[in-house]
Amino acid sequence: MRDEGTTRRGVLASALMGVGLVTAYGTLGVQGLLFLLPKRLQPRTRLLFAGRIDDYPVGGVRTVHDLEGTPVLIRRTEEGFTAFDATCPHLGCKVHWEPDEDRFFCPCHKGMFHADGVGYAGPPGDAGQRLSELNMKIDDVAGVVYLEVKAVSGRLA
Amino acid sequence: MTLNMKRFIVAGLSFLFLAALLVVAYQESKQHRIEEGLEPVVTALNKGCVDCHATDTASLVMEWKRSEHGIYGVGCIDCHGAEEGEIDSWMHEGVRISVLVTPKDCAECHVREYEEFARSHHARAGEIIMSLDNVLALKAAGMPGNVADAVNGCWQCHGTIIKFLRDENGELLRSGKENRPMIDPDTWPNSGMGRFNPDGSRGSCHACHSRHSFSTEISRRPENCGKCHMGPDHPQIEIYNESKHGIAFYASTEHMALDTKGDWVLGRDYGAAPTCATCHISSYMTPQGVMVGNSHEVGERISWTLRPKVSNLINLVTYTDGFKEDYPESRDLPAIGDVVPTVEKAAENFELVTRTVDRTVASITTWQDRRLKMKGACLSCHNDHFVDNFYQQFDSLVTLYNEKFGIPAKEMMDELIADGIIKASAPFEKHVQWIYWELWHHEGRRARHGASMMGPDYTHWHGMYEVAKHYYDKFLPAVIEAAEETSPALGRKWQRKVTALLAQPEHVWVSGLSPEEAAAMANEYAQRYNQ
Amino acid sequence: MSASPNGGLGQRFAELFPFDWETIRHAGAEPVPFHLKKWWFCLGGTPMYLFIVQVATGIMLTFYYVPSPDHAYASVDAITTQIRFGWFIRSIHMWSSNFMIVAVILHMLRVFFTRAYRQPRQLNWMVGFMLLGLTMTFGFTGYSLVYEQLSYWGATVATNLANAVPVVGPLIAYFMRGGAEIGPQTLTRFYMLHIGVLPLLAFGLLSLHVLLIRMHGVTELQFEGEEPPEERRFFRFWPEHVTTELMIGVLLMYLLTILALIFPASLGAPADPTVTPAHIKPEWYFYWDFRLLQLTSLKVSVLLTGLLGGIAFFWPFIDGWLERRSKNVDLIVVVVGVVAFLGFLGLTIWEAVAY
Repeated sequence: MRDEGTTRRGVLASALMGVGLVTAYGTLGVQGLLFLLPKRLQPRTRLLFAGRIDDYPVGGVRTVHDLEGTPVLIRRTEEGFTAFDATCPHLGCKVHWEPDEDRFFCPCHKGMFHADGVGYAGPPGDAGQRLSELNMKIDDVAGVVYLEVKAVSGRLA
Repeated sequence: MTLNMKRFIVAGLSFLFLAALLVVAYQESKQHRIEEGLEPVVTALNKGCVDCHATDTASLVMEWKRSEHGIYGVGCIDCHGAEEGEIDSWMHEGVRISVLVTPKDCAECHVREYEEFARSHHARAGEIIMSLDNVLALKAAGMPGNVADAVNGCWQCHGTIIKFLRDENGELLRSGKENRPMIDPDTWPNSGMGRFNPDGSRGSCHACHSRHSFSTEISRRPENCGKCHMGPDHPQIEIYNESKHGIAFYASTEHMALDTKGDWVLGRDYGAAPTCATCHISSYMTPQGVMVGNSHEVGERISWTLRPKVSNLINLVTYTDGFKEDYPESRDLPAIGDVVPTVEKAAENFELVTRTVDRTVASITTWQDRRLKMKGACLSCHNDHFVDNFYQQFDSLVTLYNEKFGIPAKEMMDELIADGIIKASAPFEKHVQWIYWELWHHEGRRARHGASMMGPDYTHWHGMYEVAKHYYDKFLPAVIEAAEETSPALGRKWQRKVTALLAQPEHVWVSGLSPEEAAAMANEYAQRYNQ
Repeated sequence: MSASPNGGLGQRFAELFPFDWETIRHAGAEPVPFHLKKWWFCLGGTPMYLFIVQVATGIMLTFYYVPSPDHAYASVDAITTQIRFGWFIRSIHMWSSNFMIVAVILHMLRVFFTRAYRQPRQLNWMVGFMLLGLTMTFGFTGYSLVYEQLSYWGATVATNLANAVPVVGPLIAYFMRGGAEIGPQTLTRFYMLHIGVLPLLAFGLLSLHVLLIRMHGVTELQFEGEEPPEERRFFRFWPEHVTTELMIGVLLMYLLTILALIFPASLGAPADPTVTPAHIKPEWYFYWDFRLLQLTSLKVSVLLTGLLGGIAFFWPFIDGWLERRSKNVDLIVVVVGVVAFLGFLGLTIWEAVAY
């Protein structure tokens, strides 16, 4: 059988194949290497505008949404601001603020939380769970409230 | 299949694979950009809007996406969302929105800027609706039932009262299946600086901060102001372009740090040239640190008013509620704490009304204080001797205009009215009225504005030269002509007055230069042109 | 590349590493039957290639994965959203596992319908069948590691199924769970199976599988109307066949990348032992068994699965037994194959569309 690799066409084909394979698998290799390089171990977040300080009455709670659409309950007290993930630690239902009762309430299993997020009744109370908190940045000069939320790309959203 | 064919296929597939991997890398970098705050955030609230409008109004959404608003997740509903009962609102795809975003909407976040703007000179630009300028557009250029000149001209800079179309019963007309209220096309689109909005607020922020990119760079560039501050009656942008300041700006735009986020401080972020914003509103460095600009009070650093028939130095009286009023130097200043009747204009039931309100004086800024604030910016580049001498040059020019032309012409016009030769109620009846109008409103202003911003040609050829030429050649003859038209006796009276005027030292040159001056001039031309 | 007499370095290396390179050259020169130019005869190489992809991406993922119930979900989440190219590597791993199942099944179908498992290759069929089981176990344990609601409850159902196997069932279930109930031990066990035990087994069985092929030689097949001349009945392993495999390899990588881009591996809600989701579904390659479970009872379905598996496992011998008794073995084999495959397909689709 004639060896096709030695003809002009064969050399061209082999060269193209070699270049293609090396660049493609090389790129894959670089991406794999970047994957393994420990660079961003901190969860990546970004600030989201959450209104003006004046929008938050002291003692009141306002609902905003993070980038994934999850409600976040922001409560203002004399001491400052606290942002609670509205996801109930029990089964992930969304809790809401009940101003008359001064508590967060989960309708699924009647979970109740104090204004500071600590569960006191229902399954979360029994399990000693509390609402998880999110970080905030308060710009006193501009009078603006920012919420630190997980940065989510459009691809995953 | 031959071996070579296989090899070619492997090569082809490899390149396809490589292309796919590049898309992977792009996705990864996009996610990175989102996390770094370089990609817009479409929050759940605004996703519905963006989904449609990304194709419905593609460029608008593109602009928003690159804006600071987009980056921080301030989206459509945050600005366009409306409350039940707002006249301009309607239910659009399940959300109550309004097409008009007013300063009050912006004030949801930008409170300081709103308050500064609301009491600024800019916010009162819409009050021109009662001025002579507007009469010219409505009457001279317009006709009954067609105010298009005012709509397309004056109001696009000055703003107007936004009105709604109504039926004969006064009910709002609505259109489309969503019952959108119909805005009177004579009043909107309008991005005039002093627009009267249905919610009671004044102005429109996007007059300077163009939608939907809301770029700070645009508002810092001179072209932005040049949309309105131009033309025969106030050619500020032309003067700026002619000035050393403008030349420096265009030559060094890349050193201007125009895209600086937050405060844009002369002497810290840039120093290549001043723009309109630099001198009139922005912050600058001083030996004591940053002088924070009162960023939305355009008139604060102005010590002369160069617009009226006769220029005045102006003191600023601020009242306890934030209302501000310029007091010409000639007017006695009240004391702090005095209750003073003030005149303000407002839109009531979609009509402009004037009312007198008693207000308490909170503070007084003298014209000297205002000038000091302006000088602070000058001193970033120039020494005090330079700046002081400049102001002397400028003051002299204004004084020259006032004393030689402004005051005498105004006195003559007043006297013509007193003599019954012209009527205040008919501002453009006689030839002399047109001449006088342009004398102060066009040429006189050009001269004064030219001097204020170092535009030599506008000061002289477009300014004082025109003032002088028309004063001698048109205005004075027109005064006599108007008087003669009224009665021979008045004609004689005014002939005598003008003759007496021209005998004054500043005017004797008209009837002839001195022999020495004439000889020197002839000599000069002979030397220069060999003629 | 044997030690050259005049090459100093080459000779030194040959002394340090006394390997007979001729063996490799000889192995590479092995003639390959002509019919392997047809693409469907390369299906056996495909799972092999994908296995390498899985090992590579799998090792990469273990850099970040934390096999503990408290951190498993969060670490997968971190891989998906935070680590550079994490979503891509994970998606490749996920898609490659699915490809692998498909490739193994296709390979089996080819071997079955060409009856390539006959004497003397019965043993290799059985090794191959074990590899199928291994592949599915890989998929099952791997998915469980994600520790989201569906994968957690999928694992629960599976261990309950194992429990129903007669005699040894409870012991197997006990072993898998690391206790009487699913608990913190279960995840660690699944993890160790997935990255330690199964890969070792797979490597061993794969080697045996290939070794057996080489020892028996590839089945030579001829097709009607296609009588290649004697000198063209074979072609070389290198470079001809290797190039074909390269072609398939790059094509696979391309498809995997495209799928990873369009359908990246998702992440559901975190596992919650107290809440059973309304619809539990295993991975699609268990659909047939899951549907069987719903059609019959737990006991019957387990026995039925065992029986079907047994038949498949020992099929070469059943085939031989049939051959001795019937003239129409070819027809019987085709009918059995078609019925089995359609049955599998039907149950899978049924389960897929049922909700």
